[in-house]
Amino acid sequence: MHFFNVIRWIAWKDLLSELRNRENISSMFFFALIVILIFSFSFSLDPKTSQELMPGIIWIAFGFTGIIGLGKSFLAEVHNDCMEYFQIVPAPKGAIYLGKFAGNALFMLIVEVILFPLFILFFNLDVLEKIPMILLIFVAATIGLSALGTLFSALTVQIRAREVMFPILLLPLAVPIFIGAVEATRGVFSGDPLPLYSDWIKLLVVFDLIFMVVSFWVFEFILDY
Amino acid sequence: MVASRLIAKLQRYEGWFGIAAGLLIMVGLYMGLVTSSPDYYQGEVVRIMYIHVPAAQSAMFAYTVLFGGSLWYLWKRDPVVDNMCHAAAGIGIFFTAIALVTGSIWAKPTWNTWWTWDPRLISFAIMLLILVGYLMLRTFLEDKEKEATYAAILAIVGFIDLPIIHFSVEWWRTLHQPLSISTRGVSIARDMLIPLLLMSIGFYLLFAYMLMVRTQMLYLQHLLEAKRGRMLSKVHL
Repeated sequence: MHFFNVIRWIAWKDLLSELRNRENISSMFFFALIVILIFSFSFSLDPKTSQELMPGIIWIAFGFTGIIGLGKSFLAEVHNDCMEYFQIVPAPKGAIYLGKFAGNALFMLIVEVILFPLFILFFNLDVLEKIPMILLIFVAATIGLSALGTLFSALTVQIRAREVMFPILLLPLAVPIFIGAVEATRGVFSGDPLPLYSDWIKLLVVFDLIFMVVSFWVFEFILDY
Repeated sequence: MVASRLIAKLQRYEGWFGIAAGLLIMVGLYMGLVTSSPDYYQGEVVRIMYIHVPAAQSAMFAYTVLFGGSLWYLWKRDPVVDNMCHAAAGIGIFFTAIALVTGSIWAKPTWNTWWTWDPRLISFAIMLLILVGYLMLRTFLEDKEKEATYAAILAIVGFIDLPIIHFSVEWWRTLHQPLSISTRGVSIARDMLIPLLLMSIGFYLLFAYMLMVRTQMLYLQHLLEAKRGRMLSKVHL
């Protein structure tokens, strides 16, 4: 029980501070909004090409959003000298990781859910009946992105060039998430039957599992280096 | 510190590794470029293989050494092993870059393009990015012990990710378009196999030699810093 309580309290702490200052979610949201607008300016999209390009645009926007949000994940702890307390708190270190991860994944999902209607609006998509499937893809890809992102955020938060190093480390390793998410989203948008793109969702789930386990294990070394 | 003693022992013979590597590569290059026959399908272009394949093998070997060394470091905290990992990453970039450039030159006449979304190409390009990120992360971290630990974590996570990247790209491409020409299943002629083998062994030895020299350099550099009194307590001698 102790283990799950630690997860819950850390995620709750992040949520509470987010509810009070709304820094993270609002900056993520407006950044992604600007990315979408720039894309809609730079491609003059007719309905057919927008179907074709949408999955890529969505995941570029969400990927950048993730970089903005996840990169700052441990910043509050560093500013308030809480990293030391993470080291000495008598709790499993993996639980601290899972708590931060849960908070991050939740923030990203909230932003994605707010943004998605805007995508439909801007690009005239016709996807109302496909929403459950799209949500599933969002969840699967967001878990993988936050699993890696939380780990790398902890790695890079204390260095000078944090804003540069975080995407440099995260993006190459996140390639399978982007491929999987884009292909699955494309499958849903073009109205393919589930078996044609279910493999991509499986890829995302496998990636999520592997990197949650690996990060869970190595996080201990980050905290007591 | 078992590993550092082993490394120190091997380093007594590093000169022999260098000489053997030089000889094998010279003989292999002569055989590959002069005496071996051109390929039936690819013609003279096939001779790039004698550099490309050994470089790619050594690059993967370098990353495997980096992975093993990183696990070892997290377990035993041996600073010499960390120096070895640091060295392996730098040399890995060198071999990965050679493999990518020669592969690109080979692909132009063979596949009629400099770059294609082939899984092996992508995984090597991403391997290069991970290794560069690894070295960048190391330069940005100031505390030596923290640098070693964080770098080891990055190397381990990257190593686990590489096969997933490879398979996801392979899968992605095979769904979209058939894979480009593959030489798999084509048996290789003996007068091509022997120079290739010589070059492979030569490149492995070259990697070993470079690794020893570079590890020593990094170790001495850390020793010097320690002697300056900056981190006297953190070097285990």
